Amino acid sequence: MPDRHAIEALILDAVRLLAEDFELNALKSPTTHSPLYGEGGALDSMALVNLIADVEDALTEKFGVSVTLADEKAMSARHSPYRSVAALVDAVIERMPS
Amino acid sequence: MKTIVITGTRKGIGQALAQHYLGEGWRVAGCSRGEASIKHVNYRHFELDVSDENAVVAMARTLHSDYGQVEALLNNAGIASMNHALLTPASTVNRILQTNVLGTFLFCREMAKLMRRTKTGRIVNFTTVAHPLNLEGEAIYAASKAAVESLTRILARELAELRITVNAIGPTPIETDLIRGVPQAKMDALIARQAIQRLGEVRDVMNAVDFYLREESNFITGQVLYLGGVC
Repeated sequence: MPDRHAIEALILDAVRLLAEDFELNALKSPTTHSPLYGEGGALDSMALVNLIADVEDALTEKFGVSVTLADEKAMSARHSPYRSVAALVDAVIERMPS
Repeated sequence: MKTIVITGTRKGIGQALAQHYLGEGWRVAGCSRGEASIKHVNYRHFELDVSDENAVVAMARTLHSDYGQVEALLNNAGIASMNHALLTPASTVNRILQTNVLGTFLFCREMAKLMRRTKTGRIVNFTTVAHPLNLEGEAIYAASKAAVESLTRILARELAELRITVNAIGPTPIETDLIRGVPQAKMDALIARQAIQRLGEVRDVMNAVDFYLREESNFITGQVLYLGGVC
């Protein structure tokens, strides 16, 4: 199973590629603290949809794990798991198959 | 080679559509609850229930890893139950909604993810003339397809930015398992309400699907096309 560092690297890569596709200057050099969606975040809803799908695909491709990030827990969470890179890393770790 | 996903390919319209697109040079990924009925080098079968989220996600992941992307989806799988509303058990209602609405939604969601990068994705959903004709005895079937039509119109807007078109086709009755068991008098009365009064044929459906899939149809989305002059 990949560790936190590996998941973080995968998500930062996905954000970087998305930022190029969507021309999002604020996310071209993302860090774990970069806000993504919601307050201060640079992603609109379509960019977020793409990022979630990219991260799910990359998790399958690189680590062979199937993770669904857009689940009921994510929809009803008090603090969105999509608000920042760090929150998204937490969300992936939480949903990794045991 | 372009890949088209077709649900409900074991028999009827789905099987005919799969064979048609294989003949046109597509790679076809089909599915049904039973084993494959098509043998072709470019046909791949997934045995699953379209309303089983995990199975649909697994199919999408397999297609992604083996083919990279998907260009088109035909949400053909569907079930019907002709019965008076007062004699329709809740279990039947659930079964129809699960297959027709949830199944269509899950395939739209998962395959749209695989169409994102193509910029030419095509989704065709299947509705029915039973909805605009408000046919007695088909309350739940027609209601489930009304939901599919609404889903089609809203997804057309949500997926437009990804350049995926989402349309629907509403066939008239066609000689398939779906209408077997419907009394002849009822069928005659139904056909009498069409502008062109005959049973539909699979080629009528293929023609409309071909139209939606054409590259030139990239400005057509959110539309529902009923056959036979029903409106």
